[in-house]
Amino acid sequence: MTPALALRFAARDWRAGELRLLLAALLLAVGAVSAISLFVDRLQRALVAESTSFLAADRVIDSSRPIPEEFRAKAAAEGLATADVLTFPSMVGAGERRSRLASVKAVSAGYPLRGVLRRASAPFTTGEVTRELPQPGEAWLDSRLFPSLDVAVGDTVAVGHLELAVAAVIASEPDRGGSFFEFAPRLLMRAEDVPATGVVQPGSRIGYRLLLAGDSDGLAALREGIAEELAPNYRWRNIRDANETIDRALGRAESFLLLGGLLAVLLAGIAVALGAHRYARRHYDHVAVLKTLGATPGEVQWGYIGVLFVIGGGGALLGLALGAVVHLGIIAALGSYLPVSLPLPGPRPVLVGLATGFICLLAFALPPLLALKKISPMRVIRRDVGAGVAPTVSYGFATAGSLGLLVWYSGDVFLTVWALLGAVVAGGTFAVLALLLLRGGRVVGMQAGSTWRLALAGLQRRYRENVAQIMIFGLAIMLLLVMLLVRTGLIDEWRAQIPENTPNHFVMNVAPDEADAVAALLQSRVDHGGELFPMIRGRITAVNDTPSKEWRRQVRAAGGPERGGPGIRGERNLTFAETLPANNVVVAGEWWAETPAAPAISLEEEYAAGNGLSVGDTLAFDIGGLPLVATVANLRRVEWDSLQPNFFIVFSPGALDGYPATYMTSFFLDAADKAFLNELLSAHPTITVIEVDAIIAQVRSIIDRVTQAVELVLYLVLAAGALVLLASIQSSRDQRLKEHALLRALGGSRRLIGGALASEFAVLGLFAGVVAVIGAEVTVWALNTQVFELAATLHPLLWAVGPAFGMALIALVGWLGTRQLVSSPPAAVLRQV
Amino acid sequence: MAASILRASGLVKQVHSTEGTLTILDDIALDIAAGAQLAVVGESGSGKTTLLGILAGLDLPTAGDVWLDGERITILDEEQRARVRARCVGFVFQSFQLIDSLTALENVMLPLELRGDGDAGAGAREFLGRVGLAARTSHYPRQLSGGEQQRVAIARAFASRPKVLFADEPTGNLDTATGGRIADLLFALNREAGTTLVLVTHDAALASRCGATLALAGGRQVDAEDAGMEAAS
Repeated sequence: MTPALALRFAARDWRAGELRLLLAALLLAVGAVSAISLFVDRLQRALVAESTSFLAADRVIDSSRPIPEEFRAKAAAEGLATADVLTFPSMVGAGERRSRLASVKAVSAGYPLRGVLRRASAPFTTGEVTRELPQPGEAWLDSRLFPSLDVAVGDTVAVGHLELAVAAVIASEPDRGGSFFEFAPRLLMRAEDVPATGVVQPGSRIGYRLLLAGDSDGLAALREGIAEELAPNYRWRNIRDANETIDRALGRAESFLLLGGLLAVLLAGIAVALGAHRYARRHYDHVAVLKTLGATPGEVQWGYIGVLFVIGGGGALLGLALGAVVHLGIIAALGSYLPVSLPLPGPRPVLVGLATGFICLLAFALPPLLALKKISPMRVIRRDVGAGVAPTVSYGFATAGSLGLLVWYSGDVFLTVWALLGAVVAGGTFAVLALLLLRGGRVVGMQAGSTWRLALAGLQRRYRENVAQIMIFGLAIMLLLVMLLVRTGLIDEWRAQIPENTPNHFVMNVAPDEADAVAALLQSRVDHGGELFPMIRGRITAVNDTPSKEWRRQVRAAGGPERGGPGIRGERNLTFAETLPANNVVVAGEWWAETPAAPAISLEEEYAAGNGLSVGDTLAFDIGGLPLVATVANLRRVEWDSLQPNFFIVFSPGALDGYPATYMTSFFLDAADKAFLNELLSAHPTITVIEVDAIIAQVRSIIDRVTQAVELVLYLVLAAGALVLLASIQSSRDQRLKEHALLRALGGSRRLIGGALASEFAVLGLFAGVVAVIGAEVTVWALNTQVFELAATLHPLLWAVGPAFGMALIALVGWLGTRQLVSSPPAAVLRQV
Repeated sequence: MAASILRASGLVKQVHSTEGTLTILDDIALDIAAGAQLAVVGESGSGKTTLLGILAGLDLPTAGDVWLDGERITILDEEQRARVRARCVGFVFQSFQLIDSLTALENVMLPLELRGDGDAGAGAREFLGRVGLAARTSHYPRQLSGGEQQRVAIARAFASRPKVLFADEPTGNLDTATGGRIADLLFALNREAGTTLVLVTHDAALASRCGATLALAGGRQVDAEDAGMEAAS
């Protein structure tokens, strides 16, 4: 058979509508995959761009030592942009009047390399984006420094020996969120001015940072080029290191989008396979006739491969176009939620789309078509001469194809193996379950009315096909449920991390005589519970009667933790609590049920581990010169990025009564009410207010965008799933209709036949729903615990909703797919199929 | 006498199932001269259709040999047998076996296209004209009556100018009057083209129009009377 003839055959098949289902499946496969890939690719680029603003750079080199000139030279050689940032705590004075501890940040020209600074002309206003920096000799101050120093724009402040003119208010800086609790307010100045301050002395606590920005090749080359010099004194950081919350959200979103993509590919593959099976089955007679007319098996085979390539090429190109349009539609629909301009996509989504089309065809559509060459020409005189390829060959092909496609598409063998393993186990379990359900159904059906008896008998009669169909329906519904559950779990978890009205301001250093006034002011003006927590400074002097210095030596000698982490000898914030703080989990010992007679303490688990402490140890404290002895009652795991006040050491209630305390609290303040801070700090200049609202807003905006992307992918997977259902019903339509047309010819009423068909589909849907729920629970459990690191839970609602949903969905789609033919005359139906 | 175009000897066809071995054809031999007409008659289940399939190279016998146009087709593989069919065999079936998705013209063009004829369309049109369907070229099989469909099938069979035409109950699905006209057409075209005809039927009248008769009963060659057929007049 010549290519021209194959093309002609393809054209004729197309005209006759034989290829439409296959092409539609292919079109949607390629369309869905390329739309997801295009969108995800661009969104990921945007998210990366956005999140790098948390660093104010693409990468950062961090150290407590000055950055060597060599790093800058090598960065420049790689074509990277650089900027220097020095941070150090320093007292800032305003004449003779007041002085405050500030966190000074000195930057060089070019800062920030990513993200933007906002500058305001008055404190506690949102300000405007600026590309400018303080000029040498100038300083920009955090809003809360203005009331506490009692200065205004235009005044001067002193940092060490240097007088700086207060030129503006710093409203926000991109890399503020290095740590959520950077207590001291910010003073921004130029790096060039630092030497004149005289604060940089040997032993002073200065953080040096070199900001880097540029293409990833240049960044990678630089990192490699200075690998030896980096260790151990310089840390190379990216956004992932900078913020765990965002890292986890991004990581999970990537996994989820990937998973969505994988499922779309699998579903599309199934749809293609079903379309191809139907096409092949409808061509059994066609091939037998061709063979009697002298077509050789080779010609038949190449002819159909030719048809496949024509369809594949057309489907892939059209699918890409569809994908491009869909992804543009998505971007338009999300409009204002998305970053203003998404970066252009790379070539990968296009390749992914095209390859998906062809691999789908080869893995899913080729096997049934190749089987056509084995059709015996005897079929023209004996209809019962069957044909078909051994299913193992077909499934082997499809499995190998899926595996290749999934691994290549995801680049994540772990996720792929899980997904595939899930599919195989689910497939096997589904088959057994489906068979049992069908058998059971037949027994029940004996007692049922004629419509149901007919339906159940029909199901039992073609049990092989029906087991396969339940598997396919079940798999499709299961994948949809999995997406839905995982998505819901993920989004809930993200949202829970930062609930609405999370306190976004912390007040610390409230003196006991001010506590009532501060509480009253807060209560009258903002969303505040009125509760103040005592915070007492103290340090550990001895552990189990061993002086803490000696204890530390022993812990280190015993191979305990290296330097780093909070040490045992430092002064700590102590508090007491009656109940276990939210976001804390007791991991050893037990939380005090009621106030213990002797003072007890609870330690954060890493702090305890780092200092060789465990439950039962006795710690002696020095609190403002007064001694206190307490026993370790339990260890807690603390979620540090929960944005709640957290403590290493928590005492039992009453233990700290009578010790000198200051108080702390937190409250929620809307952005519009920021001016309240001015009032608060003017009334109580010695208290410290920490603003985390900008950080919370930033984290939330990233999480919101990721959530949208996740939901979008869910819809695309839903569309692919619906297509599979349609394809599956289409592919079994001929057989069902033929049987039912015969029944009609024998006198069955339209109602009986229609009812039997609908019942048949409903039962299939019900069974599919049952197996889908089982499969979904297992898969979600595996994904949550192994991939997304979420807690495993059962979903009781699913057990009711899943089967009902399956039943309604399949009955509806089945009815829609067959209703036209049920109402046409039986002769027409018999002739058509 | 003209040279032999179709010869078979010692044909045996058995199928094996769980219930044992079933012999469908048992030691059949025949020899047909080019241009001759042979009717294969017998009751349902006598093995007629199986014999036709083996003679035409659609199926292989369990034992015995078939020579078609000088080729021993029983030792050829499916690929080679298909080439022999393309070169010298045409078919007409009881159930017409037209391809639903193709028009009448395209159905007739098929064998010509498979042979690589440059102008399949013209050849096909000519034969559709000769079966009286010149006006129905663009109709699909489902738009044609049974008789018309069989005429398209006949046009398709003769379009490739086969040396041997195998017809399996060509009038079996048609009413008597239509069947008669189809039979007339079949024999007329056959005479005109000098084609060898092998006709499987249980219709005695149709069988009587052939020059020779092979009667089957229970898979064995028998006299026409024993096959339950009325003697050819």
